[in-house]
Amino acid sequence: MKLKKELIHRQIAGESFLIPLGKTVYDTNGLFVLTEVGAFLWERLPGAADEQELLQAVLEEYEVDEAQAAQDIAAFLDKLRGLEIL
Amino acid sequence: MQRAQTEPYLSRFLHSRGAKLGLPVSGSFELTARCNFRCPMCYVHMEQEQIDSRGRELTAQQWIALAQEAADQGMAFALLTGGEPFLRRDFFEIYHAIQRMGVMVSINSNCSMLSGEILSRLLESPPFRMNISLYGGSRETYRDMCGRDAFDQVVANIRALKEAGVDVSLNLSITPWNCQDLERISAIARELGTPVRASSYMYPPIRVDGQQCQGSRRLTAREAARYRVRWEQLTLEEPEFLLRAERMKALSAAEPRECAIDTDAGVSCRAGSTSFWLTWDGRMLPCGMMPFPRGVSPGDGLRRGLAGDPKPHPPDPAPQRLCILRKAGGLLGLRRHVCDGDGSLRRYPGVCLPDDRRDRGCGLGGI
Repeated sequence: MKLKKELIHRQIAGESFLIPLGKTVYDTNGLFVLTEVGAFLWERLPGAADEQELLQAVLEEYEVDEAQAAQDIAAFLDKLRGLEIL
Repeated sequence: MQRAQTEPYLSRFLHSRGAKLGLPVSGSFELTARCNFRCPMCYVHMEQEQIDSRGRELTAQQWIALAQEAADQGMAFALLTGGEPFLRRDFFEIYHAIQRMGVMVSINSNCSMLSGEILSRLLESPPFRMNISLYGGSRETYRDMCGRDAFDQVVANIRALKEAGVDVSLNLSITPWNCQDLERISAIARELGTPVRASSYMYPPIRVDGQQCQGSRRLTAREAARYRVRWEQLTLEEPEFLLRAERMKALSAAEPRECAIDTDAGVSCRAGSTSFWLTWDGRMLPCGMMPFPRGVSPGDGLRRGLAGDPKPHPPDPAPQRLCILRKAGGLLGLRRHVCDGDGSLRRYPGVCLPDDRRDRGCGLGGI
């Protein structure tokens, strides 16, 4: 999955932040915060071919109902698309 | 731009968390003592002869290595300052390297050089915030105070930064040389649409010359108070100004106290706790005003410089601030619980944020 914006993922003081770089600074209106699962997914986005791969990764990591995880991942990706990050 | 409003929450939260964890959350990197202005109250600027007699500026590689070390230990914010940092030919090498570490970089500048190629390069990757010292509201004041006829250029450069979308903040030092300009300065700031952080208290430039503490020309306490009031009158809405005036009046009426300084109590700000300052020649100070170093040099690295005596820090506002952060920006609608540590699957909490917060943009939160 291809990221359209230049964002650096960093852990600072135990929190996950996406920090904009380059011209992304102009249109991101500050920073983004990720929850732990958000960070988990973010790290896997560039290498993932599709949502199914992300779902598989979540199912391997978490004790979660498949339908629930799929719904959450879809919402997450929608949010990224809405922000024109993905 | 919401960042001007929300950044302090982020900063407070990170500094609070950093104080608990012992992290160097913010660092100031004084890249040079050189400047193209000659402001008499400056606490950093030195002529080349003075610089040569005291030490050498760190190289770009030394700055980058120190910043990397600080970032590895939790530095979130870096301020590149001087002197005038854009005088360094390798400024962008340092700036871009620190940005790529995922550090939020702000820059202090007099803005006189921010045109042409320097401006173009800056706009390619803008800073988190550009702090510009505005020294006056006229050509005459710039000539008298800064020794340069730079007023028009500075205002034009600020305008260019603003038009490009850079987050600009003005710093105003009210001094005997520019105190007559307050009306003009406030009008310029209003027209440019930039916030101003003004101070009428000037710390004596004892880092440059310890003898100046007694001899430097500074506003008296009464003058500093008068110009502070005048500035607030010019920049605050009337109800807010009147409220402040009432508070100040009550304070003035209180019983005067002896000036008592508890030298064992340390300082109550973040200096030396979650923030540090590196001078142009690589000494670590709690802040840029304080002349007593903790003895670190570039070869020593940061850890030694930051390993001073622990001191009490203000009460922790983290839970509240974190809450504000999350409400302001929302968070991902996904969370996992902390691993049990036995290698088994982690318990999955589902969509942790309730429906009433979904509408406010849960998922990925902007701050």
